[in-house]
Amino acid sequence: MLRILALLTILFTIFITPALSATAKPVVVFAGSASQPPLVEAAKAFEEKFGIPITLHQGGSGAMLSQVLLSGQGDLYIPGSPDYMDKARELDLIDGEETNLAYLIPAILVPKGNPLQIRTLQDLSRPGVRVGIAEPESVCVGLYAVEIMQTNNLADKIRPNLRGQVESCAKAAAMLPLGTVDAVLGWREFATWNPQAMEAILLKPEEIPRLAYIPAARLRQATNPEGAEAFVTYLKSEDGQAIFRKWGYFTAEENARMLAPSARIGGTYNLPEGW
Amino acid sequence: MLRRDTIFKGAMLLPLVVLCGYFLLLVGSQSAFFSMTDFLEQIGQKDIRSAIALSLIAATASTVIAVIIAIPAAYALARIDFPGKRLVDTFIDLPMVLTPIALGTLILMSWNTSIGRLLSDIGITLPFTFAGIILAQFTVVVAISVRMLKATFEQVDPRQEQVARLLGCSAFESFLHVTLPLARRGILAAIILTWARAIGEFGATVMVAGTARGQTATLPSSIYLAMSMADLPRAVTLVVILIGISLLVLFGVRMVPESRG
Repeated sequence: MLRILALLTILFTIFITPALSATAKPVVVFAGSASQPPLVEAAKAFEEKFGIPITLHQGGSGAMLSQVLLSGQGDLYIPGSPDYMDKARELDLIDGEETNLAYLIPAILVPKGNPLQIRTLQDLSRPGVRVGIAEPESVCVGLYAVEIMQTNNLADKIRPNLRGQVESCAKAAAMLPLGTVDAVLGWREFATWNPQAMEAILLKPEEIPRLAYIPAARLRQATNPEGAEAFVTYLKSEDGQAIFRKWGYFTAEENARMLAPSARIGGTYNLPEGW
Repeated sequence: MLRRDTIFKGAMLLPLVVLCGYFLLLVGSQSAFFSMTDFLEQIGQKDIRSAIALSLIAATASTVIAVIIAIPAAYALARIDFPGKRLVDTFIDLPMVLTPIALGTLILMSWNTSIGRLLSDIGITLPFTFAGIILAQFTVVVAISVRMLKATFEQVDPRQEQVARLLGCSAFESFLHVTLPLARRGILAAIILTWARAIGEFGATVMVAGTARGQTATLPSSIYLAMSMADLPRAVTLVVILIGISLLVLFGVRMVPESRG
């Protein structure tokens, strides 16, 4: 027993103590998965530049919101879409205005090389094409997928091909490399995360009714509001925005608009009966 | 007769072979996504090294705490009669019935009560800290420990303890010198299973401690983060590390009593 305790102490000293000994008070961020790659990089760059550590918790936007609510902790909330920011506001968790960090464009995602030659939204209704979406009731990207199918009058045709309705935006992105579906109706940005495994087939501009964006806002319960504000300012600065662009996100509305000129940005859509 | 025995042994061995084959298939299925170059590159990364250390330390610490509490608790359930014993016995199983996510949620809620806030005010904060990982794992695994150890103590013949008492041992001395040594194998099995369950724990850990890289992201949480980015090579690297470490430790622990005996 003593040996085990001694070993634990040594391991703790080597690996954990350096992480805990940072002097500045960390900024605790709860973020949805839709911004995971650029946020990880931006947090590292921010720490190096300003010496303020970022404690970045990531997962489904809803799960993150539950943790913020249940624990009473956290300085900053960055969900994967505006819907969850609205929910957080309804729960009176948000302090001040939100900042729009980047845009998310709905697209069809297919494995690299597009083996089934899927070119249009109609192709998703071809017999034998296995289509994956996220669960539309709880996951934002799933709701966008249903809205696209409904708006383009293809819901009845594509629905028999739906194979997975997964519980998170991130899992939707992982369905393709795992080979469980042939195409995913998700965000174009999933493909820029993992270009070796998948590619995005853009929808026709008139087929996209709505674009999403990644909002960031300070939490009312923040114990480090200055740090949270500094991190948001950094994310919105040229350096921060360049990191989002590097990962394939559009950061300017006019660029996002080029792919969907008449689309609404954010807002709500009520899931039709029967989904 | 000999032939019948062979058939019997074969029938017993066959499911074991099928099960091992199935597990090997599961482990081998990641080979399509595995690349040695990626593996070597990623294993050198700071956050992966930290996830390994966090997982090992937290699983060992939560196992030590769980077993230290479970040994007397299980002994009490096995040997001591007290009012409401059956109710307590059932209540102890609660963490095994609840899903780890529900347990994690309850832990988080408990820290948002007036007692939790009071503790936070005096600087004791467990959610989203390293100690939070240990608390989450302990909560999930302690019931397994109690259950296994209770079965172990029940198998120890009470007459041997009684003989020790007749020879002048106190109840504590008889427990220490007779019961514990006789229960050694069961205790070891409980430690192994508790540790194995703790190192693979995900639901409660992610709920209570979050997924901060380098601070609270254990190996299972890091696998989840890698999957969230659709980064399969990284996920596979982490799975290989988790399998490797776990098999090494579990096999090592199983070898110890044999080498001593």
